[in-house]
Amino acid sequence: MKSLALESLSKTYFDPYRGTQFTAIKDVSLNVEEGDFVAVVGPSGCGKSTILNMIAGFVPATGGRILVGGREVSGPGRDRGVVFQSFALFPWKTVIENVAFGPKMRGIGKAERNRIAQEYLELAGLGHAADRYPNELSGGMQQRVGVVRALANEPDVLLMDEPFASVDAQTRMTLQEELTRIWEERRPTVVFITHDVPEAVFLANRVVVLTRGNVLAEVDIPLARPRVWDSLVEDDEFKSLSNQVLQLVRSA
Amino acid sequence: MSALHVIWGYYVRFNARWPALAAFIPFVPLVLAWTVVVRLELFPPVFLPGPGDVARKAWELLYKGILTDYLADSLGRLAVGAAVGMAIAIPLGVFVGLNRKAYEFSWPILLFFQAIGDIAWLPILLVWFGFGLTTMTFVIVYTVLFPVVLNTVLGIRSAKPDLHRAAQSLGASRSRILFEVTLPGALPNIITGLRNGLGYGWRALIAAEIIVGTSGIGFLMFDARRAGSVEEIVVGMILLGVLWYIVDSWVLAPIERATGQRWGLVTK
Repeated sequence: MKSLALESLSKTYFDPYRGTQFTAIKDVSLNVEEGDFVAVVGPSGCGKSTILNMIAGFVPATGGRILVGGREVSGPGRDRGVVFQSFALFPWKTVIENVAFGPKMRGIGKAERNRIAQEYLELAGLGHAADRYPNELSGGMQQRVGVVRALANEPDVLLMDEPFASVDAQTRMTLQEELTRIWEERRPTVVFITHDVPEAVFLANRVVVLTRGNVLAEVDIPLARPRVWDSLVEDDEFKSLSNQVLQLVRSA
Repeated sequence: MSALHVIWGYYVRFNARWPALAAFIPFVPLVLAWTVVVRLELFPPVFLPGPGDVARKAWELLYKGILTDYLADSLGRLAVGAAVGMAIAIPLGVFVGLNRKAYEFSWPILLFFQAIGDIAWLPILLVWFGFGLTTMTFVIVYTVLFPVVLNTVLGIRSAKPDLHRAAQSLGASRSRILFEVTLPGALPNIITGLRNGLGYGWRALIAAEIIVGTSGIGFLMFDARRAGSVEEIVVGMILLGVLWYIVDSWVLAPIERATGQRWGLVTK
């Protein structure tokens, strides 16, 4: 795991129909320490997904730099693992083949990569589902596979783009608790994009509020770990932090 | 509960127990209706033979060995034509599907030639290649080619961007993405194209055999017309339908079940 730094990142699109420039990201700088968990929240259209797509290398930045462990990156790479809102599992591969995909691309032999994949599947309580196809699993289980697939490739930074937005509310809480447990055990560097304020406060060490392509505020979340919903739902500190962030998002 | 319900119940249970035989059941009323029409002598028997006459004729042709020989000829031509067609069509479709410029350039051409139906080529092919195997193979390859190319292009171009991105950030190179992500994603479309292509190819083959042939099912039917044997023509027609059913349900449908349906890419 390594640190991530964004230096005056910007993104401008050219609109060919209007003949004008559209600025999605103005000037965003952000430091994510090695092993830190940062959540980015903001109203829709604030550019949070654009930022993640730029960090992942899917969309080229029009200005600024992205540094992973101090080294500038461009284009997608295995140093930045991505978890997608759409899960993006390969439907023609079984669960274990999906998780073993990254190691396979690195040239790791079949026995070894299956051992790695199985180990990560156990971490998410998915050992029994190894030979199933993604479409045979519930949404929540599919996204567990999505998270584990990114982790099994040992990225320097884990990028998560509204990963729990398309699962039901109960499953979402379980997945949030599992993610926080995995993070507490392994301390990956995480950037987590969401529009769900309590989710951001529950998971992150720091919440970045984004508005119209700018960083409006950064809020530290000093809540004790391990975090579980049962104790946090009624927690005064959690509630006041959530309110603080929510006010910022609504003012944006 | 009416009698109809009882019959329906028998039919459903029979289907569940003998799925392989179930396909024949819908033909029972059809054959019965055929028998009734023949018995009523609405048409002279010379024009419309009954199921019994046709079955006897089929047995006779089978006994003489003509039927098996002609069948083997027709299926062999279809197999060769389909194999060549696919060998050209799939790589071409992948290339056109992946390459935006190639797509823009070749799409109008593909649509243009698709519109010139297989049989429309026969006059000029006969001038070029004469009455022979080359002409027939050309027609089948041509007919199989377009549905497979067009569907492959569609499959490649409708690939989900997130899957491509996921593979990229998991460290896959472009060639690995092609084989691990793009091609499997396009497979259901390729199979659809193949299904259409073989269906059209089968029809084109019969047409080509009627005009060009010296053997094959199409030739058998046309030759029977000259000899005035209506039974033989009907035998040929029935054979066409049965063979296609076998190819479709014993070869193509299982492939579809094992791929697209299993992966949840196409609905059952």
